[in-house]
Amino acid sequence: MECMSLLGVGACAPDTEFRASLPFPAFDINRDTIPPLLRRRSSQAMQMAFSAATAACEKAQRPPSAFPAIFASVAGEIKTTDQICTELVKDDGVISPAGFHNSVQNTAAGYWSIAQQCTQPASALAAGSDTLPMALLEAWCQLACQGGELLLVCYDETWPEYLDPGRGNPAFACALVLAAGAVDGRLMQIGRPQAGEAIFPAAWTNSVNSMPILAAIPLLEAVSAGKGAQTIALTPHTPGWQVDVRGWE
Amino acid sequence: MTLSPIISPVAVTAYQCVSAGGDDVEALYASLIANQTCLKPLTLFAIPFDTLVGEVTSPLPAIRSSLQAYDCRNARLALKALDQGGFRAHVERAVAKHGAARVGLILGTSTSGIYDSENAYARLHQDGLMPDDFYFTKVQTAQATAEFLRLELGLQGPCYAISTACSSSAKALAAAQRLLATDCCDAVLVAGVDSLCRLTLRGFNSLQLIAAEACRPMDTERQGINIGEGAALLLLEKPRAENADRPRLLAVGESSDAHHMSAPHPDGVGAATAMAEALRLAGRDASEVDYINLHATASTLNDLSEARAVGSLFPNPPPCSGVKGLFGHTLGAAGAVETVVSLLALERGFLPGTCGLRVPDPECRFPVVAAPDLQVSPRLILSNAFGFGGNNASVLLEAA
Repeated sequence: MECMSLLGVGACAPDTEFRASLPFPAFDINRDTIPPLLRRRSSQAMQMAFSAATAACEKAQRPPSAFPAIFASVAGEIKTTDQICTELVKDDGVISPAGFHNSVQNTAAGYWSIAQQCTQPASALAAGSDTLPMALLEAWCQLACQGGELLLVCYDETWPEYLDPGRGNPAFACALVLAAGAVDGRLMQIGRPQAGEAIFPAAWTNSVNSMPILAAIPLLEAVSAGKGAQTIALTPHTPGWQVDVRGWE
Repeated sequence: MTLSPIISPVAVTAYQCVSAGGDDVEALYASLIANQTCLKPLTLFAIPFDTLVGEVTSPLPAIRSSLQAYDCRNARLALKALDQGGFRAHVERAVAKHGAARVGLILGTSTSGIYDSENAYARLHQDGLMPDDFYFTKVQTAQATAEFLRLELGLQGPCYAISTACSSSAKALAAAQRLLATDCCDAVLVAGVDSLCRLTLRGFNSLQLIAAEACRPMDTERQGINIGEGAALLLLEKPRAENADRPRLLAVGESSDAHHMSAPHPDGVGAATAMAEALRLAGRDASEVDYINLHATASTLNDLSEARAVGSLFPNPPPCSGVKGLFGHTLGAAGAVETVVSLLALERGFLPGTCGLRVPDPECRFPVVAAPDLQVSPRLILSNAFGFGGNNASVLLEAA
């Protein structure tokens, strides 16, 4: 496989001020993308992931049930997990069945498959500050091995402050619909993620050090700007990971 | 009928495992042959109900001081497995041969280092502060023990965690095979690691799935599951002349039930799809499968779903068994741990038994192996792992 094609993209940033600072279009959580029965119980992580994923599928003009999905997140369902850990230390702590099964890293992936009635494989991936490049690499490998199209969602809700002081904020999600090879109507051509020394834009270094999933900002900015061939840094550290892209210009 | 495979097979050049079934693969093999349960009362922490667990009670090694921030029970289980039976030397050989940047690492885990996080929360509850030596992204987040192993071994290739509950490390094998098939790596270390913790014990108890006694997979009188812990390590490399004598991972089939977060599809549709997909990717026919290592947790819904899946896919089903009555359900590690069990069956020539089985459920329209069968040498094995979210994976393995 020579490249992947980006067919659709969506971004969700619930914090208004942060959203206004982003160099590409992003939206608040769209509760219409969450099935009514799940709305009350679903986490910020899941609501953002669904919002971004639905927007990307609409942009790509693909039904969400059409392809496999990869959900990538540094901390997964951290607020639900935090609530359970808090209950576990109390003598009379209560663990609810739904709280427990909604604490797994593949909660968003599982509910997405249920909500879309999608029986294709769904994965949940985590790689700390390398979560974005490893998610893109997993997407590359799936498309190179099996062809077709897939949905990649990268997201993290805010983390309780005491877990990792100074990190885990602001919440953000983005979703990409990707196809194997060079496909007509693509927004961007994306190469295989590679180890490298591309410099992460200084303007976003503080943000990504605070919230690792924001490493997607330069890539999403490049999609929006639509420029020609360039190399995009996928990690704030060097040596790190990078990817060659070619926009529609 | 052998069709051409869609994905290239990979060689399993080394494997190791630490669990309640033993500290290494030799001890695990002895446990599989003895077929006597290793499940015992929990000693690691207190829980407000009765059960038996598959706890690793032998001492765990200390984490080196330079990697102290990663210290947690999960990392220690992984380190223990790494230092069994010369496994570390196999990884070092792969690094010397291929270069550190060409050796990747995929971890499958469901709860990572959360046992240690729970201890930190106890301090938070008491003192209002997390302990100074608690590092969230080096202990609790899913990739933590992957990063530890990568630094411990000096690997520089791709490194990430798959965390899809109880299918995690079966899917890690799938991701590793793809890294090799796409030439992103020459070797990939797959680690399936999960430790006992309060969250899963009490979580599964809230779902009323925990058995008070040793579990009885596929038995008419099954009463639920026992949780275990373990670390299984597998080194995958591209097939070459020098590893032609090693067993092969042919393919991993994956699917989603799209049914319910914590209950499997009643007819096992997703489970059957995962098994069929493994066969399709490998270009093999169902009639070629010699043995199925069942997920068989001994929860009623899971067992019946899987029994129907096997019945629907195999006109003449091969012998099947489930090993969780021996050392428990190792959750995110189960896919890798039971792949190791299946590799032992391939390499040493036997069919594992189903510890705890007395009367097979009549829904099992296939031979359920109760006692280990030493007269059969399987050559093609499917090993199943199914998780929350209806997340299914089936690993297809072949003898050298």
